[in-house]
Amino acid sequence: MNDPQIDRMIVEMSLYQCLECGKCTASCPRRLSGKEYSPRLLAHKVIAEREDNAYIENAVWECLTCGMCRERCPSGVEFNRFILEMRTLLAKTKGLKGYRAHDGALHSWMRMMTAPGLVQNRLAWLGEELQTDPAGEVAFFTGCAPYFDVFFAGLQVDTLAIVRDSIRLLNFMDIKPAVLPNERCCGHDLLWTGDRENFEALCRMNYRSFKDAGVRQLVVTCPECYNVLSEHMPEVIPGFDLEVHLLHDLLLQEFHKGGLALRPLRKQVVFQDPCRLTRLSAHRRNLRELLGLIPQLTIVKEGNGSAGSPCCGNCGFINCDAYSKQIQVQRLREAQSAGAELLITACPKCMIHLTCAARDPLQQGKIKTVIRDLVSVLAERIEWYSGEETGKRKARWKK
Amino acid sequence: MADLRLFGICCNWSPFACYNAAGMQGISMPENFRLVRVMCIGRINQALILRSFEFGADGVILLECTDEDCRYGPGPEVGHENVHRVRKLLHLLGIRQERLVECTFGAHEAEQLVRTLWSFAADIEAMGPVGGSGMPRGEGREP
Repeated sequence: MNDPQIDRMIVEMSLYQCLECGKCTASCPRRLSGKEYSPRLLAHKVIAEREDNAYIENAVWECLTCGMCRERCPSGVEFNRFILEMRTLLAKTKGLKGYRAHDGALHSWMRMMTAPGLVQNRLAWLGEELQTDPAGEVAFFTGCAPYFDVFFAGLQVDTLAIVRDSIRLLNFMDIKPAVLPNERCCGHDLLWTGDRENFEALCRMNYRSFKDAGVRQLVVTCPECYNVLSEHMPEVIPGFDLEVHLLHDLLLQEFHKGGLALRPLRKQVVFQDPCRLTRLSAHRRNLRELLGLIPQLTIVKEGNGSAGSPCCGNCGFINCDAYSKQIQVQRLREAQSAGAELLITACPKCMIHLTCAARDPLQQGKIKTVIRDLVSVLAERIEWYSGEETGKRKARWKK
Repeated sequence: MADLRLFGICCNWSPFACYNAAGMQGISMPENFRLVRVMCIGRINQALILRSFEFGADGVILLECTDEDCRYGPGPEVGHENVHRVRKLLHLLGIRQERLVECTFGAHEAEQLVRTLWSFAADIEAMGPVGGSGMPRGEGREP
């Protein structure tokens, strides 16, 4: 493995700064679930023992890309970026693609969306109660929800509800978004499985549809779409000039202005931090603040301290195995033993993965948990502020 | 017709016996028809059907045993379920659901199988190629 690209990556991603302290491996959810995988050792091999092709090629695809190692690293090693570029390199030079869940069906439809003549029928879920404006400058980016709704029908995860509730919330804020009929996948999973070529094709096609529709601002709910549209798409499109907003940020701004309130929810809940919004971009505080606005909610903290929740066990629909399941089952067990009545997620993928684990026949229904998206909870409880403070108290955090 | 790609996935047992018998009798088959033999249609999942379209098929036909004939048990039922789901995905992708066909055969129905293939070929020909302006770049294709 003597590609000069790797030398460049070592420098750019600060791999030489690694102190071999091992905090990355000690906090890695994949390692903690028992898998023989070590980010520290991978960094070491790439720096010092690059002849060990087998180890490097294998380890690069093991990472869940959750960003825990990057967050814990005292030396600022850009591990996520390193994994991303290594995957791109190995996919291009060796045709590697990782072990794909569902036999790669999801990656297949994502790649099929790069067909130039594609004309989708993706808006059947858009009911009349949702107000949209096809000529509007603000577009809502739906993502793969209509596809997940079909593909994961057996799991009974309602990913379309998240999308409907997002538009409901936008309508509540007096925004009538455009919803593009031929929007394509954001390409997140292709990007993270090394298929840079098709990822870039999707970026260019999406950007063109936004421009053709006169869109200037995009509102996104899905953390992966947000991450791609705000960080990776501008790298692909020269002169990228769209404003990308996370729905949760807009909501919080609106709450700060005043005039909005939430009806109380007297429940003990656990929150699942989406990695793309917390460890890969700085939205943890906003998400928690938004959650904290729901009166009478008790947010139970689980065992492992203040660093946010661990990974939901899977990313990009690769590497789903017994170790992923282990992470998910443990997460649900912890939530249960902490007395949670409801698990709130903010990413459709977290919801899919955790629902799948909860329905695992081996668990015999013992970890069945009610899982809802933050957006759905908010859409259900939002109202105009009536000035009454009676009986309301803010959400509290319980150790 | 020449630029259409017809793809069949055929169970090794009843349908392949039919296909084999038809070949032995020298009955002519549609051109541009490629067949892959698998041990059972129950082995084919949604991903493999989708991938056929990703790699450029204009029509896909699953040739299965009848439900009660399956050598393994639930093969054809798995096939029905997968076809049902993939058709919905194809609809979302703007690919006509009729491009995915599923047919069951007994071991002695060679002529019927050939008739089915001809009518499948005629249907796909009437629909033309997928997409109109070119197929996506499937990962299987060399750049």
